[in-house]
Amino acid sequence: MTEKPKPIETGQTADSAKESSFDDTERVMAKDFKEYSVAEFFKKNRQMLGYSGKVRSLTTIVHEYVTNSIDSAEDANIPPEISVEVQQLNSHIKIITQDNGTGVPKSKIGQAFGKLLSGTKFSQRRQQRGQQGIGAAYATLFSQITTGKPTHIKTGIGNYKAFEADVAIDVKTNEPVITNGKEFSQNFRGVRIAAEFAEVTYNRSEYGVYEYLRRTALANPHVQLSLIEPTKEIVVFPRAITQIPPKPKPTLPHPLGLTTSDIMDMAAISKARKISSFLVTEFSRVSNDKVKELDALVNAKLNPKENTEPPHNFVDFNRSPGSLKWHEAERIVQAIQTVKWISPETSTLIPIGELQLEKSLKNLLKPEALKVVARRPRVFRGGIPFLVEAGIAYGGNAGAVKGNQPGGELLRFSNRVPLLFDAGSCAISEAAKTIDWARYDLKDWEEKPVTIFVNFVSVYVPYTGAGKLAISAEEEIVTEIRAALMECARDISHYLHSMQRIEDQERRRQLFFRYIGEVAQALGELTGKEQSVLKNKLQKIAEVRTAMEEKADKVEDAEEELEQMEKAASKELEEESK
Amino acid sequence: MAKDKPTSQADKRRKDREEIQMRIEKFAHELIKEIDRNDNPHIDIPVRGSSNVAFDEKEKKIVLGSKVAKRFLFNVSHARRFMQTMLVASYVKKDLLDNNLTATLRDLYYAKKRTIAGTKEETIDEQKESDLAIVDFEVALDTFRERLHLRAEPKGRMAGTMTIRDFVKEKASVIKLDQLGSGGLAIPSIVEQIEFVDYDLEYVLVAEKNAIFDRLNEDEYWKRNKCLLMTTAGQAARGTRRLLQRLSTELKLPIYCLTDADPYGWYIYSTMKYGSMALAHESERLGSREMKFLGMSISDIEHYNLRNVTIRAKDVDIKRAQEMRNYDWFKAKPWQKEIDKFLDKKIKAEIQALSSKNLQYISSTYLPEKIKNQDFLP
Repeated sequence: MTEKPKPIETGQTADSAKESSFDDTERVMAKDFKEYSVAEFFKKNRQMLGYSGKVRSLTTIVHEYVTNSIDSAEDANIPPEISVEVQQLNSHIKIITQDNGTGVPKSKIGQAFGKLLSGTKFSQRRQQRGQQGIGAAYATLFSQITTGKPTHIKTGIGNYKAFEADVAIDVKTNEPVITNGKEFSQNFRGVRIAAEFAEVTYNRSEYGVYEYLRRTALANPHVQLSLIEPTKEIVVFPRAITQIPPKPKPTLPHPLGLTTSDIMDMAAISKARKISSFLVTEFSRVSNDKVKELDALVNAKLNPKENTEPPHNFVDFNRSPGSLKWHEAERIVQAIQTVKWISPETSTLIPIGELQLEKSLKNLLKPEALKVVARRPRVFRGGIPFLVEAGIAYGGNAGAVKGNQPGGELLRFSNRVPLLFDAGSCAISEAAKTIDWARYDLKDWEEKPVTIFVNFVSVYVPYTGAGKLAISAEEEIVTEIRAALMECARDISHYLHSMQRIEDQERRRQLFFRYIGEVAQALGELTGKEQSVLKNKLQKIAEVRTAMEEKADKVEDAEEELEQMEKAASKELEEESK
Repeated sequence: MAKDKPTSQADKRRKDREEIQMRIEKFAHELIKEIDRNDNPHIDIPVRGSSNVAFDEKEKKIVLGSKVAKRFLFNVSHARRFMQTMLVASYVKKDLLDNNLTATLRDLYYAKKRTIAGTKEETIDEQKESDLAIVDFEVALDTFRERLHLRAEPKGRMAGTMTIRDFVKEKASVIKLDQLGSGGLAIPSIVEQIEFVDYDLEYVLVAEKNAIFDRLNEDEYWKRNKCLLMTTAGQAARGTRRLLQRLSTELKLPIYCLTDADPYGWYIYSTMKYGSMALAHESERLGSREMKFLGMSISDIEHYNLRNVTIRAKDVDIKRAQEMRNYDWFKAKPWQKEIDKFLDKKIKAEIQALSSKNLQYISSTYLPEKIKNQDFLP
């Protein structure tokens, strides 16, 4: 592509460089798209896209719409503001969403809402929020097959021209069917979708729309979400920050975590002339110096003497990568482990950010205690960078109310997208399960007002299945999540300890002061001293003693002993007085 | 001379009272000193109970060890008991000693039980608590409750050819112990003031059970055998134990003990003889180390052929016996043999089992035979 594409017409005046770069990317992606006649296939295999179960189907629909909306507003550098309305119509449910994003140009409406696409996003190493790119269009199909109705779309790009139309899909051809299209004058920017569905249910369960939006708000503090429930109750999850996260960039794999097979695969198709340049150009953080280091390590024990032929197992880094042998690649991988690398490029990963996440959890949970941790990036498998952000919130509105009892909740996210289903097989659940919570005074956290938040950030998320519901429990990932959670838990434990200390202090205080009156009176009677004077003096001592640590009470081991002896003695006394 | 005695008695008791009053004042002033130094007020309390008692082989008594614990006012686990000990101190000094009155443990309990101002907490919930605070105060002052003018519930009775003089405050009464009919004389809880005026006795027979006392009284056993007959009615009260010691040490009378053939009965005997673990600090004045165990033993069951009137031992009996087997004061060979026999056969017998022969078998055969043969356990 030599010609810079014209920006799509937009009413936006903000940062046009950013916009054009987005457009650029979109064009590239549009070119990469391959069309499949998949409508019919997915009609029969809807569970593959998350349409199984009445509650879950509705959550999936809302997820598709909201995800697109967030991406769209972010692309326009506008803090996203999205409303979701759920109406109960007899047996149908109507969903109306509206955003403040870029809007969809009239010409792209069919492609966006009336055609199932399967993109190349899978293979691109770029951190993605959205799913397969089938999402919104499949919702159109789902509406169509459960109610026979088209999806009503209204969109505008803020140029005083709005457009609305009914969109359906021709299942046989997977082509959009647009009807009732009409353009009118309104300064509307964004997308408004209204669609009717059957075979869906709305509720506030942990799998429902409410919970999905709450969690989305937690992981996206720059997004403002509002929900109008079927009862007409309006729930607003206000934004905590206005700063929009930077856009993800494609990235090269980091050498750490590479397997022999990864290197062999990449070498086979590499256009580099030499192994050395292959390593420098196709991996991140590999410099010429690092290649020399690798070279030295790989050939270290071969003891090459001057003017002698190189030994048969000498790896010549000047050879073409295509000629790389398995055992040679193996030695390179071994050498990679001993070289000190600069961490993977963090700019390829878009975390929520420690500060942002902290603001977000504070904003929505208003907890008594909160600890947020953003770990340094790591790699898993073939040098895929990832990082883990975690937070534990205690008290306040943290946790889930189960019945009338406070309860703990484990909130799983992958690239800020809440994972509501299939918790059992997820790396995050696995990490939480294997932590010895008792060490942090959080034993039985499931019954405490605790929110445990984990966001897995990576350009490539190793999901356990096509449904993208759970992160595969790979060792590097689980270890990292555990480390993050334990770091948070330590802090919360300190808080719980200090709370316990305060409680203990208060108990001590009350106990110490309780008997002063009686003791002062008795001492006054015995010595003739003024009771009120004694009382004052005792209160002063009590004040000092209260401030002391409880362990000051246990000055002598004999005290413990005394107590046990006393128990024995009173038992004996009782026996004797029978 | 008869007039002098009460006066000197009263003098002695007044002096004793003043001594204790002084100790209490000193105790209180020590606390004041601590308070003035801004220290955490504390009371030194010798530790009681089985872990701080030892058996003095030579003196044949259970003695308190040297462990002393400090009880602080400002300590979570001590505060309440400290306060209760202070209530005891004030009651003993102000209400009892200063007015020359005595009271029961229960009197003290009610006198000091009240709701603490500004709370819903009672100063003392159950009498058990104030009883324990009393013992604390006794040991802290290195004294015993009778000197604090506290009385235990009187328990035990006696009859025999003996005349004593007892006092209620300064008023003396002369009591003939052979003129008291079927009931005998109730042994008071404080016996220090009792004077032995006249007696014609060869030994003292102390039974664990009221029923035995009544049986032997009806049989005029004490008259025919020149003995002072006593019942402890279960575990011997302090008054009874102190009186037994005085009879043993002052009148040099042999004392024979008669209990059921079971660990509980034997333990009652050991308490009278050596003192108890809970009141180890008072063994000195409560133990009668010359006391002899007349019966009943497991050997008696064999010897008197009582096998068919025995009772199967319960688990608690066996547990008790196992514990007692390890007590130093049961280490004498004959006792170890008895306990082993008991543990082996797992049977016990009441004294009344002797009635299976005939009602008067105990007074006409069993006791005379045992005493004649000096068939005792140490």
